[in-house]
Amino acid sequence: MELQLEPNTAAPTACCHLALTDRTARFFCTAGRGMERFVVREVKEKLEAEQVECFLGKVFFTAEPVVRKLKKIKSGERLFLLLKKEPPLTLSINRGKGFNEINKFIIGEPHCWLAALSLWQNLQLTAKHETENQSASKVPKRKSDTDHEPNVLKMFKEEHSLATENVCKQLQIYPNKSSHHNPTGENKLSVTVPVQSSEENLAPCNGHQDFGFRVSCRCSGAVAKRYASEELGRLIGIALIKKFGWKTELRAPDLEIFVHLNDDQSVVGFSLLRVPLANRVYIRNSGLRSTVAWAMASLAEISVGAHVVDPMCGFGTILLEAAKEWPKAYYFGVDINESPLRAAYDNVRTAGLEDHIGLLHASAKNLPLLSESVDIIISDMPFGKKFISIKDDFPGILLEMERILRFGGILVLLLSQELYKQAGLHVSGIHRNGKPPIAAGGETSGAEMMNNANSEARHGNSSKIIPGSQSRPLRCLLPVESHSVSLGVTDAFILKCKKIATPPVQ
Amino acid sequence: MKLLTHNMLSSHVRGVRQGFPLGLKATEVKVNTVDFNQEFVARMIPKLEWTALVEAADNLGHLSDLPRELVADYESNEDFLRKVHHVLLEVEVIEGTLKCPESGREFPITKGIPNMLLNEDES
Repeated sequence: MELQLEPNTAAPTACCHLALTDRTARFFCTAGRGMERFVVREVKEKLEAEQVECFLGKVFFTAEPVVRKLKKIKSGERLFLLLKKEPPLTLSINRGKGFNEINKFIIGEPHCWLAALSLWQNLQLTAKHETENQSASKVPKRKSDTDHEPNVLKMFKEEHSLATENVCKQLQIYPNKSSHHNPTGENKLSVTVPVQSSEENLAPCNGHQDFGFRVSCRCSGAVAKRYASEELGRLIGIALIKKFGWKTELRAPDLEIFVHLNDDQSVVGFSLLRVPLANRVYIRNSGLRSTVAWAMASLAEISVGAHVVDPMCGFGTILLEAAKEWPKAYYFGVDINESPLRAAYDNVRTAGLEDHIGLLHASAKNLPLLSESVDIIISDMPFGKKFISIKDDFPGILLEMERILRFGGILVLLLSQELYKQAGLHVSGIHRNGKPPIAAGGETSGAEMMNNANSEARHGNSSKIIPGSQSRPLRCLLPVESHSVSLGVTDAFILKCKKIATPPVQ
Repeated sequence: MKLLTHNMLSSHVRGVRQGFPLGLKATEVKVNTVDFNQEFVARMIPKLEWTALVEAADNLGHLSDLPRELVADYESNEDFLRKVHHVLLEVEVIEGTLKCPESGREFPITKGIPNMLLNEDES
């Protein structure tokens, strides 16, 4: 992607993290806790991303700047163009000085911002062009896009003072009032913008600005102890207005500038999409978080012609996510209640997936399906206050799942900590002491679990018999891997098992 | 309900040993157009109970020249696979019943969704 910069502008790569080449740019994607590894895998597989770096809640990567492709990320929350990623800031004790340091860091060298803005605008136009011509040729016509590209270097100063005034009104900022974070009131905050040097040669504005921006600032750790996020966000916003003369739009911004300062790093980015990646246009009623549903499906090894069943499908979120990504399989959604099934039916129609998803009204404890007839089972086991009764039914439900699954088939479950413990006990009889099979840190590898199983088996501990099941314990389900993920308020585990023909020898 | 779904369903009424295949009666059938995917259909066939599929299609009057016996080398037989595709995925029962071959218990199909839920004393 070519950047239309003024000839006398310095190369952007030298000063910031855009890492632009002709064909790639640097991005980052935010992710729910525990979802980072899925994002890493996805950007590598779908975008052939390079220099992939994974941090808590964020994945940084270099990829081709094509919105159509970037939008394919299903496990992430939001997508940003990266401006800066630096080590955590060390700030002066003096609040005013500290703020000036933040400000200096954020604004940095102005042409980075202009280069980023130019690329961002270009991507917005391409994306718009793509949605407008969805039926047209798949390759967007870059040339026409660059024709429309506003020249960002030509739009300053004219509305400068007006804009500042305006945002002060909108933000209700009263300069030089001491902040509540500073009870003594001795260090008053004021906005100081680095003096514009003449050699930067920013031409006076003679085009018009067609975007409104907003700063979303999040602080944690050391920075958060001294500055409130909203306060910093406002002040950074004002600094940007003063520097570039951009207009703010707080309610529905075209450009959201994301600033995240914590103890790991200091990050600045431009939001690429107005709607989070995690929002699915094809899902009308959503139960489970779409990203988690997708992640579960991604573990299930869905092959062409596979029979996939969700025995407690609710609104069908998992099936929708799976069928959108892997359409050459046949999906069944089963639920014991009629109202979620009707909502699922609605969802399936809206998504245009009625060819791929069939629905059944039945109980997960007594599935009207032939034994060993199903290749894959994926299910969000209902848990939480609303579904207390599931605990007693859980062993029976697992047994039914084991029955309908063919040998070599895959089972992927989303479980609460409690159910996870219970499953650990019943699935393979390897966790007899009731200790959660997961270390405080997060996950247990499949190999580890299998080793546990083997060592327990060697010591002559047999699997427990599930109460109420006269036939046999669940010895054919072998845990393969597990992942701890956050569902917002609660944490949960994705557990993947494989049905094996020969249970571990005792 | 598609015939592909029917092909996997069995009745689990207490005491029933052979709850397959379920007798199919329809009062409303819809025929949809579904994109044909040769690979998908070819991979599905080995998983099907062929006789049950033919019978169900015949019951609905949508046999569509499907042979009673599965043909050999069907993977490359596009003509045949298209017929199977039609019967499996395009024919949909909107209203009707499914009947357990052993106990005679009937399960209703309402608005395309079969209700296989059993009462407590049945399961």
